[in-house]
Amino acid sequence: MATGTLGTYSPSQSLERRHQQQKRTDFQEVDWARSDGRNFHQCRPAFLRTGAASSASGSAYAEFGSTKVIVSVFGPRESKKAMLYSDVGRLNCHVTYTTFSTPIRGQGFEHKEYSSMLHKALEGAIMLETFPKTTVDIFALVLESGGGDLPVIISCASLAIADAGIMMYDLVSAVSLSCFGKNMVIDPTSEEEACQDGSLMITYMPSRNEVTQFTLTGEWPTARINEAMELCLDACSKLADILRSCLKDNASELTA
Amino acid sequence: MVGLSAGERQFIYGGIAQDLRSDGRQRLQFRPISVQTGVIPQANGSARATMGATDVIASIKAELGKPAPLRPDKGKVSIFIDCSPTAAPVFEGRGGEELSAELSVGLQRCLLGGKSGAGAGIDLSSLIVVEGKVCWDLYIDGLVISSDGNLLDALAAAIKAALSNTGIPKVSVSVGASGEDQPEVDVSDEEFMQFDTSGVPVVVTLTKVGRHYIVDATLEEESQMSSAVSVSVNRHGRVCGLIKRGGTGLDPSVVLDMVSVAKHASETLIAVLDSEIASAEAIDDDDAI
Repeated sequence: MATGTLGTYSPSQSLERRHQQQKRTDFQEVDWARSDGRNFHQCRPAFLRTGAASSASGSAYAEFGSTKVIVSVFGPRESKKAMLYSDVGRLNCHVTYTTFSTPIRGQGFEHKEYSSMLHKALEGAIMLETFPKTTVDIFALVLESGGGDLPVIISCASLAIADAGIMMYDLVSAVSLSCFGKNMVIDPTSEEEACQDGSLMITYMPSRNEVTQFTLTGEWPTARINEAMELCLDACSKLADILRSCLKDNASELTA
Repeated sequence: MVGLSAGERQFIYGGIAQDLRSDGRQRLQFRPISVQTGVIPQANGSARATMGATDVIASIKAELGKPAPLRPDKGKVSIFIDCSPTAAPVFEGRGGEELSAELSVGLQRCLLGGKSGAGAGIDLSSLIVVEGKVCWDLYIDGLVISSDGNLLDALAAAIKAALSNTGIPKVSVSVGASGEDQPEVDVSDEEFMQFDTSGVPVVVTLTKVGRHYIVDATLEEESQMSSAVSVSVNRHGRVCGLIKRGGTGLDPSVVLDMVSVAKHASETLIAVLDSEIASAEAIDDDDAI
């Protein structure tokens, strides 16, 4: 690694180091240890808190390994005058990455489509008829991007909406899965995501048994899609239980 | 598009339930597809695809660039879709931005495979000129001229046709270039390298209206949909990408059922598209002579 002219620390050094690390780890092997010691079908431990932003109607903070997201919900608020009357509520979702969230500054702009994907994932879960003529704004901020960002954003957002007291059919939980040759790895970190052969993301409402969003990349034979879906749906149900218990703890703290 | 009355909505629902859609098609029948290649002389490859009243153009330009540091043996492809206001007045200015972003991401997902490059429809390693230093950057631009539903399928078909029409100029690298500097490359004007498009997948969008799925929905039918699943299938019958669109939730078993129906429908689409592209290329060759 030539650092001749650079006297001070530079992020490109860590990029080189990661590049070499990737070359060493051969993801095509049958058995390889994940960098944080999990096995293939184990998700990252989730840390969730509601009430992170006190000025918002509802908010939540989620930390899944090194992915840290904060979501604030404002509303229902009056719609802008330019918008036409509508007898169902409107949802406005916005996902932004901080400039320091990615190893290389400003890389978050590659994920412009996350805002509309968040919108679609939550649309089916919120009872829009309960707030006609108004808008609910959902702002998600990714403080650190450690892989599997969109699922964490979606789960955190549904927690924030519940914290805001907006009526929903069910909590939405989301999980993503990476495919490396024959292996399927759930809840990938960013190093694993960068070398994946294929990926699958599901957002799910467990009580209604409904999938609100489903995206798949890479080449998949149908049998593996089945297998991957079952894994993810199981993980989503467990995550929804964790979301629920977080809300209950918060509620009991308030009443205690 | 003027809003639909309750009677028209009922007509669409009822027709689909009885396997007889408003234009006489069956649920799993495509509209007639026509493809013209070489429509944009300044691009390296181009094609125009029409599915009924939906009209889209795809153009491909190749420029020399530097490969990404983490992927020194692969070229780069970027897909960008633009919805022109000629399709709908709402697309003017920033109105079409959301739809364009959704279509661009959808096509990138279907055509470019996983991050490691496995399962990609386009072979990125064939775009390399000098490993680590010079590669071809492919810019795939799609333009929606007229929209009557099913934009994703039409764009994927146009891109597939444009890729088979694409000629990448042959590049000769001068020998004796030093290690660090950019090697001298000579881009030839005469010789071209054709792309191998046998691996490029097609996209089949299944729209769920009521309890049934239809293929190739028109704008009216799309306005009545509860949700849609777009599946990208390649020649060997393997799924290369999947996106669920629309807000309403779907039962997981329904999603899997839609995947198998889409695979079945893709076989006819691939056959029709291949014959259309072949005849379009043949007309092109005749004109050139």
